[in-house]
Amino acid sequence: MSDKLKEIMSKQNKKHDEKVGHSDDVVQLVGFIIGDEEYAVPILAIQEIIKPFPWTRVPQVPKYVVGVFNMRGAVIPLIDLRLKFGLSPKKHGEETRFIVMRHGDDVAGFVIDRLTMALRIKKSDIGPAPDTTNGDETAIDGVGKQADRIITILKVNRLLQRDF
Amino acid sequence: MDEFQEILQDFLVESFELIEQLDQDLVELENRPEDLELLNRIFRVAHTVKGASSFLNFDVLTHLTHHMEDVLNRARHGELIISADIMDVILESIDLMKALLNTIRDTSSDSGIDVAACVSRLDKCVGGSGKVETPVAQPAVVIEDKPLEEVSKDEPDYDNMNPDELEAEIERLLKVRQSEDQAKREAKSKSADDEDDFEDEEIKPVSKAPVMVAPKRATASANHDSDSSDDARAAAPAKKQTTVEQTIRVDVKRLDHLMNLIGELVLAKNRLIKINDDVEERYEGESFLEELNQVVSIVSLVTTDLQIAVMKTRMLPIGKVFNKFPRMIRDLSRELNKKIELEIYGEETELDKSIVEEVGDPLVHIIRNSCDHGIEIPQIRLEQGKSETGTIKLKAYNEGNQIVIQIDDDGKGLDVDMLKNKSLEKGIITEKEADNMSDKEAFNLIFKPGFSTATSVTNVSGRGVGMDVVKTNIEKLNGIIDIDSEIGVGTSMKLKIPLTLAIIQALLVGVQEEHYAIPLASVLETVRISKDEVYTVEGRSVMRLREDVLSLVHIGDIFEVERILDSSEYAYVVVLGLGTSKLGLIVDTLVGQEEIVIKSLGEFLKGINGIAGATIRGDGGVTLIVDVIAIMDMAKHVKATKLADSSSDAAMLTNEKKKASDYTVMIVDDSKTDRTIMRKALEPLGVTLVEAGDGQEALSILKQGDHNFDAMLVDIEMPRMDGYSLATEIKKYNRYKNLPLIAVTSRTGKSDRMRGVESGMVEYITKPYSADYLSSVVQRNVNFKSEFLK
Repeated sequence: MSDKLKEIMSKQNKKHDEKVGHSDDVVQLVGFIIGDEEYAVPILAIQEIIKPFPWTRVPQVPKYVVGVFNMRGAVIPLIDLRLKFGLSPKKHGEETRFIVMRHGDDVAGFVIDRLTMALRIKKSDIGPAPDTTNGDETAIDGVGKQADRIITILKVNRLLQRDF
Repeated sequence: MDEFQEILQDFLVESFELIEQLDQDLVELENRPEDLELLNRIFRVAHTVKGASSFLNFDVLTHLTHHMEDVLNRARHGELIISADIMDVILESIDLMKALLNTIRDTSSDSGIDVAACVSRLDKCVGGSGKVETPVAQPAVVIEDKPLEEVSKDEPDYDNMNPDELEAEIERLLKVRQSEDQAKREAKSKSADDEDDFEDEEIKPVSKAPVMVAPKRATASANHDSDSSDDARAAAPAKKQTTVEQTIRVDVKRLDHLMNLIGELVLAKNRLIKINDDVEERYEGESFLEELNQVVSIVSLVTTDLQIAVMKTRMLPIGKVFNKFPRMIRDLSRELNKKIELEIYGEETELDKSIVEEVGDPLVHIIRNSCDHGIEIPQIRLEQGKSETGTIKLKAYNEGNQIVIQIDDDGKGLDVDMLKNKSLEKGIITEKEADNMSDKEAFNLIFKPGFSTATSVTNVSGRGVGMDVVKTNIEKLNGIIDIDSEIGVGTSMKLKIPLTLAIIQALLVGVQEEHYAIPLASVLETVRISKDEVYTVEGRSVMRLREDVLSLVHIGDIFEVERILDSSEYAYVVVLGLGTSKLGLIVDTLVGQEEIVIKSLGEFLKGINGIAGATIRGDGGVTLIVDVIAIMDMAKHVKATKLADSSSDAAMLTNEKKKASDYTVMIVDDSKTDRTIMRKALEPLGVTLVEAGDGQEALSILKQGDHNFDAMLVDIEMPRMDGYSLATEIKKYNRYKNLPLIAVTSRTGKSDRMRGVESGMVEYITKPYSADYLSSVVQRNVNFKSEFLK
């Protein structure tokens, strides 16, 4: 009896291990478009994705910090990734979204042009950031290779860091 | 182990509370050394701490308190008169006790602090006066000393012991303790024996003391002297009762959380009130309005009450801060060889916990300063005909929404000329500034960084840091410092601090399309001015405000607001006051007064110059809160801009038209059919047409600025925003001031036409109309070039 029990237990353990192993080498990301390029951030860093709504301008900050907005009682900064990445400003349209990202206690909303999809990318398919970007400064975590395209994976903690 | 921790925690809390009271009692004791009540209370503290610490095996602490107890016990029995020197030793021992308790709190052990020196001094006190007992008491002390010292040395090793060793150690300690106890008992019985011998001489004074004191108190109760001691006695039992039965300890975090929730509620309340106003406007005269009104007012009333109630739970009496000052004054007066008396009033005045914590250090600085620079040494005081003893009065009281802490001294006062010279010397001000300075402004020089009036640096103050830090700290609490002084009479400082930090009254102002909140505490008044009341002096805007000249700055210049709206002929000046400095802030509109909840902008945006935080308004939007202190500073660097800046308006719209489709006309109508009819009428012209379903939509299309419109066809009756309001709104924009607005409506009344003209419509077409007529009106208004006509 106890032998059987052990057997079942070990089987379950094995299954469990397999599962962990399986999810271990896959990263879940959310992809979005800014300008012409596709970017992605880890799905767990995203608190929510919302349609644009009114914000308040904040003076004496770089242009890419467009202001602050109210998310259920919390005042959250809003950053336009187009401007941050050096692209020209663009009017918010039907597909514009705010992605609210969180890292530790830091929260901010980011304006993106359009969402693409939730992605599962094998870790082995993610290459390092190109050498031309310099080490600590870069907001690029790596480059994910999909069958037909390349996706730039961003470092959420870098995005949420104040750099002015 | 957990149980031990729990006991330890209780012990620490109790001890710290006791000690707080102790400081005050001791200083009082020095004035009334014969007060038995006080002595008993102090003795009990030492005794309680000793008892508990021996139970918890804090041997160093026990050792120290034991000797304190010894000294106090003698004093209690009238065998020892507490002189200032003995007091010094006692106070020193209490400081050590605090240090020990702190170490216990941090490390759960009391090792690392040497108490031997203090203990021997305590012993000397006992030996000094109680000559008779010396031979008996001394050996007993020596016996105790040694094993205790050993034990304390062993302390830190506990952590590294294995269970067996620990067991052995406990065994050993127990034995030590037992032998100690035995030694003590022996010593006691010995001393008791000795005492027996002296019974005839000793007992009498001892038993006499209380007898003598009691009638004295009774007769003296009519005197002022015993008033305070009576109070103290009355307060003591009362306090005990409350701590035992009527209070519970609550984690501050929970109160903070509660306060946050209340903040949310206040915001929701504001929102509800706004919605109620909107509904009232829309459904005027409906019967359900009254009910809604009632509910809204009840909710807002209860919210306000709730907010006050929660604020009160966070309130602490300022006495918590004041308590440490008698001791400080005493130490300082001995150190500086001055005679200083401290009078405290209103220590029961309550303040928010976070403020109580912040206000302590500034007060220490101010009082030290008063002692060091304010109060003169006794000879000089006598020469000037003042009493030898200087007085510092510390008062706290409520004044409106603020609490005022006032520090008065009767010292030499601030010398205006000396202050100015000093500042000139140090390059803090210029000669010119010095000449133009009022006395009040001169007093405020002491708050400038790098200023110190003491000619020599003493231990107490005069390093040139301090008063400016005081000022910044008080201003951080949204408070202000008011200073007043008269040479030879004294100095008075008033700290005015808001009751709470989280929720404040604010004045909401508008500039262009943005709103800002200004803390009402810094607003002195608001004035409406016309543009020609603003003068320019040395490149800065100023205006005359009654007798004074007020320097002005436009809020839009400080916050880089884009001027899209046409500024009207009048503007408002919000006069900001901070201590003695004033500044006029020009704004476009005054929105009103509102209770706002301060929210931080978070890590990412913290420290933006001029912004103190943000709040969420009734409509769910975010409004930034102005940092008045910072603005006053920023205003110095902002160049004056003219209020009337209308020369550069609509010119940009006159673009060269090269083809028919360069003309753009917007059609605003809520009916799809009407829009189509207009479109059909205008399409043959070949102009570009943009449609909007109502005023709001039209306005946002205009704001986007994607098109340069040459004319607009506006229906009057529309949902959300009607044609009149739309026209009024559009005329506010510099850019669209000259945009022809053509009303297209079925309203034919004369008053309707009048309203149309008032709101800035240039043409009035009544439905139905012919397509040709519409087309010709549009052509006329956009200056349509005839060569484009097909």
